[in-house]
Amino acid sequence: MKLPVLALFERSLRLETRSALMCWSRAGLLILILFVMIPIQSMAKSGWLGAPGLHFLQELVWLNLVCITLAGFSYFASAITEEKEELMLGLLRMTDLSPVAILLGKSTSRLVGALLLLLVQVPFVLLAVSLGGVGLLQIAAAYGALLAYLFLVCNLALLFSVVFRTTPAAAAATFAVLLGFLIGHYWAAGMEQYLTSTHHVNLQRGAWPMLTTVIDLWRRAAPSDRLGAIFQTGFAGPAIGFQVASNLVLGTALFLLAWLVFDPCTREEKDAASPRRWRWRRATRRSRIPPQLVGLRAVSWKDFMFISGGWWGLLLKFGVVAFLVAACNIIALYFDSRKDITWEFEGGVLIWVSLITTAVCLALEAARVFQDETRWKTLSSLVTLPISVRELAYRKVAGVLAGTLPLLAGVVLGGLLVPDAIGSFFRDMEKQPTLFGVFAITILQYLLFLHLTAFLSLILKRGALPLAIAIQYMGGSFFMSFLAMGLSLGRAEPGAIFFIIGVICAVLTAVLHRAIGLRLIRAAAEE
Amino acid sequence: MSESNQPTIDIRGLHHSYKRQQALRDVSFSVEQGSIHGFVGPNGAGKTTTLKILATLLKPQRGTVRVFGFEIVGQYKSVRRKIGFMPDHFSLYRQMTVQEYLDFFAAAYGLDLQERTRVVGDVLVLTDMESRRNDLIKGLSRGMQQRVSLARVLVHDPALLLLDEPASGLDPRARIELMDIIRELRRMGKTIFISSHILSELAMLCDSVTILDRGTVRYSGSISGLSQGNGETADYLLSLAEDHPAAEAALRKVSGVIEVTKPAKGPQYRVSFHKQQTDPNLLLRAVLDSGAQILGFQEIVRHLNQAFMDLTEPGVPPVIMEAADNTPPTPPATDGGGAA
Repeated sequence: MKLPVLALFERSLRLETRSALMCWSRAGLLILILFVMIPIQSMAKSGWLGAPGLHFLQELVWLNLVCITLAGFSYFASAITEEKEELMLGLLRMTDLSPVAILLGKSTSRLVGALLLLLVQVPFVLLAVSLGGVGLLQIAAAYGALLAYLFLVCNLALLFSVVFRTTPAAAAATFAVLLGFLIGHYWAAGMEQYLTSTHHVNLQRGAWPMLTTVIDLWRRAAPSDRLGAIFQTGFAGPAIGFQVASNLVLGTALFLLAWLVFDPCTREEKDAASPRRWRWRRATRRSRIPPQLVGLRAVSWKDFMFISGGWWGLLLKFGVVAFLVAACNIIALYFDSRKDITWEFEGGVLIWVSLITTAVCLALEAARVFQDETRWKTLSSLVTLPISVRELAYRKVAGVLAGTLPLLAGVVLGGLLVPDAIGSFFRDMEKQPTLFGVFAITILQYLLFLHLTAFLSLILKRGALPLAIAIQYMGGSFFMSFLAMGLSLGRAEPGAIFFIIGVICAVLTAVLHRAIGLRLIRAAAEE
Repeated sequence: MSESNQPTIDIRGLHHSYKRQQALRDVSFSVEQGSIHGFVGPNGAGKTTTLKILATLLKPQRGTVRVFGFEIVGQYKSVRRKIGFMPDHFSLYRQMTVQEYLDFFAAAYGLDLQERTRVVGDVLVLTDMESRRNDLIKGLSRGMQQRVSLARVLVHDPALLLLDEPASGLDPRARIELMDIIRELRRMGKTIFISSHILSELAMLCDSVTILDRGTVRYSGSISGLSQGNGETADYLLSLAEDHPAAEAALRKVSGVIEVTKPAKGPQYRVSFHKQQTDPNLLLRAVLDSGAQILGFQEIVRHLNQAFMDLTEPGVPPVIMEAADNTPPTPPATDGGGAA
């Protein structure tokens, strides 16, 4: 390639080709395909599963869809922001590289890498035809839908990467828009149905027909709807449908928009230091560490205030819980046709909302608790305190937990509202080992997930959380497949399978726990 | 050995490798209490590795490292209480204010509120950052951030400061002010171990110096010892009113003279001689006896810059410290004989 506009693109492709990570990703993907196939085939042989080829294809395609979405707000969203954060964009702009050359070099090369990861699967996925229950057309249509969605996701993330100054901001915007794009049409259709059924609006009048059309187009453009149709038995639609065309058009439009706003959005270079979160500027200017918090407790205080958000952050988290509980009540009252709200309902909602909010907050904080130190090269200062790295790490974690675990008060409060339900839950667990197994495995898997996120945050510059989600999702699918295989073949008791999975989770958590400690020591020395 | 005689830093036979590359080879030197010790060497010489080992961030793979008599691996907590390490990058929480940052580190070192208030106030005065105490660190200039880094190192009143390139990237005024602060810290009784590339400033600041090249110590001893060469020979520059070949011949006849060369076109001669066999007075007498008219006769002092260039040239064999054997550590000589 001789065109200057493609110079950076070519260089990125060369680097991508030489990257060991890409080679390992492709190899990992192929191994995963193999491991997905084995249990499905075994289940099909034992008569537990009909149309094994279709199940195989479905599992892989949904896995790809999740991974593409995760890559959207991690891998793709940092395309331009990483240059901004390292104050390198100004230097790039000073060269002969035009904005489009930079966009092609920084983003499109990543897109090509991801496209290759998808395409490399195709020859192996064709085995689904041999397994039975699926045709070539379905495979072509499914992978066409994925490729178009990938193109859209990449360019959406590119636009936000150009517009926003930091990767977290670009990632948050990409996540919000993708979430809306993927599931928003279900909510819009539900709303429309509710308004029609309650005779609040007449869909034949005013702007409603146009709105109905927009919601329909939105639904048809979303890959989930298209894939649902492809996976139906006897699918005979075109290989390239409306979803593919609309995603490609939208993706192209987003790339052009990113090109258009590139110059105004990147003219000034600013320091991308992490902002003070949820704290009043005036108050923090005079803030002091409380007198009793000396020594190790001061480390916890710092992370409570600056990673977890401090008192204001805690207040905000309680606000989120209150908002979600209120939203659940409104949905229940208006959409679920409930006449009254019972204490039992409130208790259940409070327990689930508190648990989910705590889990999400802890995952977000696990990705930051050590990464912020390595990112701003402050670990060497902390490690030279007269404490061991182990003490330091535990104190940091304690600070983060202090800023989030109070949310579990919602679980306690919810439990007090529904004591009978809680009691019966524990009694059921006593009677049914399977329920206890699921409960224990869920907790162990979550602990493993937190450790994985923290570990990845120490070896990756960004994208630790989405990658941890992807790995956990793949690992979960893999274990579930083997669980189903074991049960279908009748060769294993559920208790034994739960025990094996539990031991594997516990061992992996212990290994990661140790690896985090070693990595912290190494990171401090490498600063 | 009494505590007052004990060297602040004592490194014996230190080796360290990164995968296939050997960063330090049999490094041995010591640093006296209350001195400013310069640590110089070209890029990749192993300075930062040595500093990281001293700061307890890296474990030595072979050899012993003692700080105030504490063994760096087994007694790392005691070592950490005694040292303040300022790395070659800004190690700052940029979303904190200056006050919050210093207050946090003071608290982390276990100082109570009253002590913290006093210490943070003192270090802010010392680093001239009082007026910026409520500013966010990310809004400060590079020089100011460097001062905050230095202030952080001082909050727990360490006896040994390990400073890695503290003046890099600073403007001339900030550099001069930083050097003044370092001198003030020496007056306060602290030992300062400073790695820098700005040799002219180190020469003015330091009492002793270690020159490292490709992981090997080329020199370790006093600055004056370095200036005077190896301590056994001396170089003098003789300036005459006009060329006088008889003077050159007379000099060559003096016992102990190693060589006489003409460094420039004018009537000047460079005389090298063994200090133990002759002295400058005998040389002067020989020149006067030859009938030459002397305009000047002065010792050629080797500056740190020149010494650095001479000692770090490719092919210079490693210099072995006299005390680098298994004998108990001794403080380095303060005269020219301290050359390693």
